[in-house]
Amino acid sequence: MLLIFSRKILEALLTLGLATSILFILIRLAPGDPVAIMIGQSSDVASSNTERYEQKLLELRSEFGLNQTIFQQYFIWMKQLILFDLGDSIHTGRSVMTEIADRLPATILLSVAALFIQIVLGILLGVLSALKFGRFFDHLTRFLCVLFASTPGFVIGLVLLSTFAVTFSTYEINTEAKLSRLWLPALTLGMIGAPQWIRTIRANMLTEFGQPYISSAVSRGLKYRRIVEHAFKNTLLPIVTMTGLSLTTLISGAVVIESIFSWPGIGKYALDSILLKDYPVIQGYALLMIALVIVIHLVIEIVYSFIDPRIHRKGEENVKKDY
Amino acid sequence: MLKKIINFKKSTSFIAGIILLCILFILIFGASIISPLDPVEQNAAERLQKPSLEHPLGTDRFGRDILTRTLYGGQNTLISSVVALSVALLIGLFVGLVAGLFHGTLLDAVLMRIIDVLLAFPFMVLAMIVAGLFGTSLFHLLIVVAAVWWVSFARLARSIALQVKSETSFAAAQILGASHLTLILKELLPKAAGPVLVFATFELGTLILSISALSFLGLGSQPPSPEWGSMLADGRDHFMQTPHILLGPSLFVILTVLAFNLIGEGLRDRLDPYEKFE
Amino acid sequence: MKRFGIILAIFMVVVIVGCSVSSSKDNTNDDKKENTNATDDQQEEKSEQQELIIADQEIAASLDPVEPLTSSYLRNIGAAEALFKVNAKGEVEPSLAESAEEINDTTWEINLRTEASFWSGEAIDADAVIASLERSKSLDLQAEPFLNELSFTKVDDYTIQVETEHAKQPVPLNLSYYQTVIHNADKSYEDIDSMDLSGMYKVTSFSPAQKMELELNENYWGETPSIPKIVHEQISDAQTRALSVLSGSSDIAIKVPVTSLTQFAESDEAETISAPPANTQTIYLNLDQPQFENEKVRQALSWGLNREELVELGAEGQSTPVTTWLASNPTYEEAKNAVYPEYDPDKAEALLDEAGWGKDAEGTRSKDGETLTVKLMTWGDDQALGETIQNQWTQIGVQVEVQHGDYNLIQTARESGEWDASIEAWSTFGDEHALLTGQFSPDGSGNYGGYNDEQTNQLLDDLAEITDPQARRELALQINERVAEQAPVISLYPRPQLTAVSTKLNGFEAHFRQFEHTVHAGLSFGTE
Repeated sequence: MLLIFSRKILEALLTLGLATSILFILIRLAPGDPVAIMIGQSSDVASSNTERYEQKLLELRSEFGLNQTIFQQYFIWMKQLILFDLGDSIHTGRSVMTEIADRLPATILLSVAALFIQIVLGILLGVLSALKFGRFFDHLTRFLCVLFASTPGFVIGLVLLSTFAVTFSTYEINTEAKLSRLWLPALTLGMIGAPQWIRTIRANMLTEFGQPYISSAVSRGLKYRRIVEHAFKNTLLPIVTMTGLSLTTLISGAVVIESIFSWPGIGKYALDSILLKDYPVIQGYALLMIALVIVIHLVIEIVYSFIDPRIHRKGEENVKKDY
Repeated sequence: MLKKIINFKKSTSFIAGIILLCILFILIFGASIISPLDPVEQNAAERLQKPSLEHPLGTDRFGRDILTRTLYGGQNTLISSVVALSVALLIGLFVGLVAGLFHGTLLDAVLMRIIDVLLAFPFMVLAMIVAGLFGTSLFHLLIVVAAVWWVSFARLARSIALQVKSETSFAAAQILGASHLTLILKELLPKAAGPVLVFATFELGTLILSISALSFLGLGSQPPSPEWGSMLADGRDHFMQTPHILLGPSLFVILTVLAFNLIGEGLRDRLDPYEKFE
Repeated sequence: MKRFGIILAIFMVVVIVGCSVSSSKDNTNDDKKENTNATDDQQEEKSEQQELIIADQEIAASLDPVEPLTSSYLRNIGAAEALFKVNAKGEVEPSLAESAEEINDTTWEINLRTEASFWSGEAIDADAVIASLERSKSLDLQAEPFLNELSFTKVDDYTIQVETEHAKQPVPLNLSYYQTVIHNADKSYEDIDSMDLSGMYKVTSFSPAQKMELELNENYWGETPSIPKIVHEQISDAQTRALSVLSGSSDIAIKVPVTSLTQFAESDEAETISAPPANTQTIYLNLDQPQFENEKVRQALSWGLNREELVELGAEGQSTPVTTWLASNPTYEEAKNAVYPEYDPDKAEALLDEAGWGKDAEGTRSKDGETLTVKLMTWGDDQALGETIQNQWTQIGVQVEVQHGDYNLIQTARESGEWDASIEAWSTFGDEHALLTGQFSPDGSGNYGGYNDEQTNQLLDDLAEITDPQARRELALQINERVAEQAPVISLYPRPQLTAVSTKLNGFEAHFRQFEHTVHAGLSFGTE
């Protein structure tokens, strides 16, 4: 057991190391100089003294260690990392750790709330739709799934925001991450993400209905509700898998919705930093995201072994029907 | 009640999907016959018009007919997204099946770690690197999309491969001394292709929308050539003023996704194991 | 099965009720923010609103005035001041300084206000001001164009003498830029407790790039404002900013999209104010490219632009065409229609023919087997403008490829030299010599295309020497016209600037540099 555990940890660290070093090199290949962006873009009067500008560029580059080779930079970054220091943002000069710590809670709060809505909608509509297979309700649900899955996020976001903030005056637009402002972005993300849940749960329910144990249960005259419960219990595994995947997507990919609802999360911050070429921030953000994915996967594996001890024996990842 | 569900055999959705797709194809590839208007010519005097007889879906901010642009744009969008999806599908299937076949070995571990990394890798960073180093055309956008999209197919293919490996027919083939390639092509691929293909039909809509998400980086079809993703992204500015501006591309994206979705459902009904037990 | 339906219904009800309860609860509990999300009835009950909420695209990311743009945000919301300011007409007025006097061509004397003090109570005397300006000069690269050629000496406690390197440098104008705001150079700008500025509002809380709150500075030297609190919030999405004012969540939104005009026209809650800013949307041509070698081609490109239509399609009509670069400066309005007085595609075609770019049957022009192409790079909000230009140039036979993307792409292309044209808007307000050399002298940092014209260079040198204001102005106009004729750049229109203001707010002043002149003592709330 201990052996398996330490092997997992080692694997995780390896993944993390590999991913961050790839990213480290790639962002330095992309065009644009973070220092030039920082001091260049904002001034509104062109100057004619380019000498001092060049000098300042060099100064700043050496201040942030950008004049060293990639390997030296990577080595320095790793050294900092061991001391739990992600370095300072080139753009704001603030510690990357603080910047991320300021924004991550808001994103996690939103993601968890959205995930909750997705799961509830997914289970309710997915199960109902499977039960009413081929009937009007099923068709309607499936059509709505297509509709929401193929509408851009900003359309849903802007329509909801304009309705609740302007027409009904019940939603406040500011930059705070408080509970009274959570429901609308969460609902939006919930609606965008729900179709996939509904689809998966419906498909899995239908598969279960086709299993021989259901047929025999039906022929033995088992209670309708018990049968549905049984079938549903067996769709728990894919639900766990999807929870992990959805959570990752939500935490890393809610940029548009965070921006529309001016939710002070990490998505918009990361995107801005990417555009500004703020290397330390991008590195810190990527490290965090990759670590998060690894942790989520570990948790899924553990949850699996609780739900279904067979998995443990087989030792494999059972995604079941993800379609 | 349940019996009815279980016995529901023939799915009409496959046929419905095919018919819908055919109609869309005829509309899109017959654009020049259906609409006499030019998809790129600007006309400032007619900008942002509401739907009318002359312009059934209205006009955009440059006074171009939205229906015409949507029809022409479908050519770009459909070809590019189907190509990107197919490339991702092939890579995903291959990687997933190889990982599944060599489950428990170092190769599997490495492939799975690569998949983990790609799942967490900031998509925008990749997009920006490609845009900056290689260019911003639609072709480059496809590279970006295919480079990350295969991951989900690979995961699915691998999990199916693992299931198949526990079946007796696979064990038999193995004992008979089939090579790795034969195992993949003869045993794993036929079982995995169906579900992965079905899954792919569902991914199409997400893919078209992701094209629009990248247009602010300049990636995608270059103006003035129309494309659904960038039409959606460009329409955002005027969306609160004249919502009809998104109607054309939205409607066609929805119909396309619906068509592929129906085909996918139909395929699943045919391929899914639960039919065997009826 | 019914049970599921009931559960679904109950869930929906719980969500909706829960949300409205939590938001209304918030309304009553949080009395500091009573107006931000109040309904109409509640608004009428409150006679005096306590805080002014400004939604901005970006707010300060640091507290230190020498960090890029920080001083502009601090100044915009009334926290920081410079010695001088520029009013909405473009005239320089004293601000923290009491008066300024020109002693001779290279010397100015500035008198400070004895009653003015920093937030900490420390006097703003000659030593403090010099220390502040020296700090900006050494730490802020963007202050460099304004401070580099000035040297400061103390005459007495409240008088400073300024020596300039060249004759006739506009010292008060230079000291009106936000980069020169006066701050207590002895203090640390790491946190809000130690920072020390002089504005009418003091910073009371700050989350970088998210929200800054300020309250009245009781010891302010000037007129005391009637609004006790200011909130400066970063709402980066332009459409959301517009909605925040429309919904009453904020009172002023800076830079709302030109496309939101009809939304405001239909609303009683707020209106938009359009102040043409002093900058010019300009196409910079890369003169190293062979197709731009001949000035006739460049001129043709300028004649071939229908600027009225560009304003309509690229800026929703919220601007006015200009044909020369300096013309967006409110004091040089007469240059608006100079050189290219009207849209003349025929003239453009004739010039291209003369330059040897003949038109073939399909309407494309080529010379020696090379097609006449322009690759135009745009970024930010200029996508629609780029597409309109593409369309217009196509009509005179020029093949245009538009590439819209991230600014990095443009920067990289400029470094490598692989670009034809790009759009940029620099400020046209300031000292003429500094502005024009920055754009059109060979080592100007705004001279992207490598424009190097002997006659222009000579005229620029002359401009530096001339002291008579009238002669200076005429020479500046002459250079402006010379450049427009040679067409290394093509001027289009001032980038539109739209501000949304709540109808409850009185006294808002439209300014051509809105981003640093929003808050002033004359603002008040009240129903009219």
